[in-house]
Amino acid sequence: MSTAGGIGTAQETAQRPEPGTAPPAARVRALRKVFGRVTAVDGVDLDVPAGSVFGMLGPNGSGKTTLIRMLLGLTRPTSGSVELLGLPVPAGLPAALPDVGALVEGPGFHPFLTGRENLRRVAAVEPRLAARDTGPAVDAALERVGLADAARRRFRGYSLGMKQRLGLAAALLVPRRLVVLDEPTNGLDPAGTREIRAVVADLRATGATVLLSSHLLSEVEAVCTHVAVLKQGSLLAAGELGRLLDAVAGGWEIATTDPGPALRVLREAGATARADGPGVLVEDGPDGPVLFAALVRAEVPVHGLRRHRPDLETLFTRITES
Amino acid sequence: MTSGSRVRRGGIAAALAAALALALTVGFVTARASAAPDLPPVPPEELVASVLEAEPAALAGTVAVDNRLGLPAIPGVPAEGFTDGTSTARVWSDGEGRGRLALPRPDGERTYVRDGTVTWAYDSADRTATRIPAREHDRSGPAEGDPQAAAREIVGKLRDTSTVDVDGTTEVAGRPAYTLVLAPQPGERTVLREVRAAVDAETRTPLELTVLGAGPEPVLRIGFDDVTFGPQDPALFTFTPPPGVTVEDKKFEDKGLKDKGNADKGTGPDAAAPGRGHDPDRGGADALRTVGDGWDAVVVGTVPQGRGPQATGPQATGPQATDPQTTDPETSDQRGADRPDLSALGTPVSGPWGTGREITTNAGSALVTDDGRFAAGAVGTDVLGAALQQ
Amino acid sequence: MNRTGAPTAPRPVSWGRLLGAELRWVLRRPRTWLMLVLLTAVPVLMAIGIVLSDRPRRSLLAEVTGNGLTLPVVALSILLTLLLPLVVAVAAADAIAGESQHGTLRGLLLAPVGRVRLVAMKSVGVLVVAALAVGLVTVAGLAAGWLMIGPPAVLGADGALLTMSGTTLSPSGALYRIVLVAAWTLVQLAAVGAVALAVSAWTEHPLVVLSSVLGGLILFGVLTSIPALEPLHPWLITTGWGAAADVLRDPVPAGELVRSTLVAAGYLAVGGAVLMVRMVRRDA
Repeated sequence: MSTAGGIGTAQETAQRPEPGTAPPAARVRALRKVFGRVTAVDGVDLDVPAGSVFGMLGPNGSGKTTLIRMLLGLTRPTSGSVELLGLPVPAGLPAALPDVGALVEGPGFHPFLTGRENLRRVAAVEPRLAARDTGPAVDAALERVGLADAARRRFRGYSLGMKQRLGLAAALLVPRRLVVLDEPTNGLDPAGTREIRAVVADLRATGATVLLSSHLLSEVEAVCTHVAVLKQGSLLAAGELGRLLDAVAGGWEIATTDPGPALRVLREAGATARADGPGVLVEDGPDGPVLFAALVRAEVPVHGLRRHRPDLETLFTRITES
Repeated sequence: MTSGSRVRRGGIAAALAAALALALTVGFVTARASAAPDLPPVPPEELVASVLEAEPAALAGTVAVDNRLGLPAIPGVPAEGFTDGTSTARVWSDGEGRGRLALPRPDGERTYVRDGTVTWAYDSADRTATRIPAREHDRSGPAEGDPQAAAREIVGKLRDTSTVDVDGTTEVAGRPAYTLVLAPQPGERTVLREVRAAVDAETRTPLELTVLGAGPEPVLRIGFDDVTFGPQDPALFTFTPPPGVTVEDKKFEDKGLKDKGNADKGTGPDAAAPGRGHDPDRGGADALRTVGDGWDAVVVGTVPQGRGPQATGPQATGPQATDPQTTDPETSDQRGADRPDLSALGTPVSGPWGTGREITTNAGSALVTDDGRFAAGAVGTDVLGAALQQ
Repeated sequence: MNRTGAPTAPRPVSWGRLLGAELRWVLRRPRTWLMLVLLTAVPVLMAIGIVLSDRPRRSLLAEVTGNGLTLPVVALSILLTLLLPLVVAVAAADAIAGESQHGTLRGLLLAPVGRVRLVAMKSVGVLVVAALAVGLVTVAGLAAGWLMIGPPAVLGADGALLTMSGTTLSPSGALYRIVLVAAWTLVQLAAVGAVALAVSAWTEHPLVVLSSVLGGLILFGVLTSIPALEPLHPWLITTGWGAAADVLRDPVPAGELVRSTLVAAGYLAVGGAVLMVRMVRRDA
């Protein structure tokens, strides 16, 4: 599954858009969805840049899935507008959806059919596949997600992870310009999770946009270029992952083999510092070059100095709790 | 949002489709109700004369019978057909004495075919074809077991004791018709209010007969639901007993036949109205006699062994014309074998004529005395009592 | 290439491919075949019962004794009261509510199969199940009636079926009546199917569809038995279902057959309209 066989051909059909110049893969404006008395999505404006790996973060019930469902035309918005691959939803769905692969709310298949039959049914209604190509495409997709051996077993006997893989196979049956994965690692073991990461990386390499939602921060941090944070239906933050992290960045990480003297020198220079693993973390005080000069003057061995960036979890905690 | 207008358009289209479907269904179900047509006025006497003189017409149609006579259920006799309800019959006539009458049941059918020489009665329940000699039916036959014959006979019987009027026009089975109304003249001691007949404007064939009692609803309505005038397929008026079917011959003397014969004649509807006693065929071995004439005629007789008054009482024969049960040979056999228990019927009464039980219905009443005499008519029990004493 | 740089949208999947996929799915479903086999067995069991027992009285089954070609008509008439509508209801329940329950309706919409095309595809699927059911009952009835009971005794040159009116029909005449009642039954079932699909579009629990159809049949039965509601009776689809036996009368009384067909068309139109409105709007 690490080599996305069918994905490589995506370049033949889909031009790789230059990030920033191409229209966003998805765009929502003032999007709202109310279920009875519950506002699931509350006035969200969001662009998913073409070519990005876009992670949607948020606790359960924050509106991630509802937002995705409105994006794909599965749920009608209460108000607001949606564009998918530059086409309005729902009028443009017939033209847009063939280029979209999606795994939403878990894999949906019929228990009485085998994995292969289930995929054949998906392939039969796939406009991008000619009738004669459906068989080979199904076999290739099963091979890619590692289900070739289980292809003739009924879906009802599949484990959670196998079901998830079959769902992924259905989403990636043909090369896509946008792949939407809603909680893709649900039910997968660590190896499966790594495979998903590899798939996402492959997709990105072909120029496809990936929109994935998750409540697992480490997963998003590992693969995403962009993130959006949702809480109770509202968008709290959205943008390039690096920039978001920089915005909350502060302090310096100093790699040294001699942390004791280093701490003393830094404190004399007026910095708030503490030992952090093998090195030292400066949380506040003078700028990096000043600290570096002081350490060199005191003949403390310095192996490296770089800006300290918080991890996504810190960022997420800060955003959601502020 | 474009999605909104798109969806709205779909919704409107679907709503229109639903409305159209509803309108079609309503129109079709209520198609029978229609306005009174414009017809040139006709004097009542002329209308009566034209009805009595009109040639029997060749036709095919479906006849509906709405029975609200309010007859009691009689123990030992199947209830269906006697008791209130709706039934239908299909009739064909060639206008020359040949005819066909089909009385459908959900699970079978009883068919009468009069081919000009004999009448065949076929019952699918026991796959029996019964051949009935023509003699019984020279005057009327199954094909006229319809509003035509019934109304003609009644109009003929009642015109002398009635005020006759034409009450505008109506439409029956899609055909314009005059409404002929016969009401009892003052002095007639009947419980009936009036008899209405819808007479086809073109052929002067009665299309519908309505008998009104004291209540607002008719006690009996016999009329065409649909009718087509014109020559009919001659094959309809022949009957060949199919293989595997039992063929029986009925003789005129046979008691069971008499029941059958009466039903075959389709005289049921007219029997619901008074005047039945004028029927010369009717006397027979039971020595029936008629006291009085016109609306308050009373049939008086003795309850014969093995025959219940339900078979001879004028009201009781009303629904027979379209009732498969009544004419069922099994029922006839049953009658021959044991007399229905009448003790549960009606209420005990006594009078100068003796003691017995009275049975009242929406269209008349009957008295059965403990010593086996009976009287029945479209009248109150006081008239019946007086008739018994005559 | 349009302004988004996307390859031009592909042509939608052809109707043939769409319907083929739907039919393959319908016919791969084990319960479809279980129901069809059970239905096929009914006329055979009826034939066995008739051969082994005396001629019943006051039952449409009495027509079949020694008159085997009436078996398909009688079997269809009896099965139409409950089993055939239930088979159609099961198919309709699986078609939309079942797909929704399994999450596969989503997949079809994302393929994308347009919502209007989806309705057409699902309707054809249900109609095919109904047609298979009617066809199998008819053929099984014909075969069992002919082989186990046979035509009326002393078969004349043109006497294959004895009508309730005491006339005989030629083999071709009998076949015409049988085809007529089969087609009429299919129209009635199509109406039931349209209503069941409309219910199916409103729920994601197939059992709701089944119980609605079953409950509807029972409710209609109760309403029919209440004389005070007589004005309502012509509107109940079940009222016309006795007309199946009319093809065994001679000449065939067209009135009730036509009326019940029009009522069925009304149910079909209303059910279809509700189905379409709901499917265009529903979440998947």
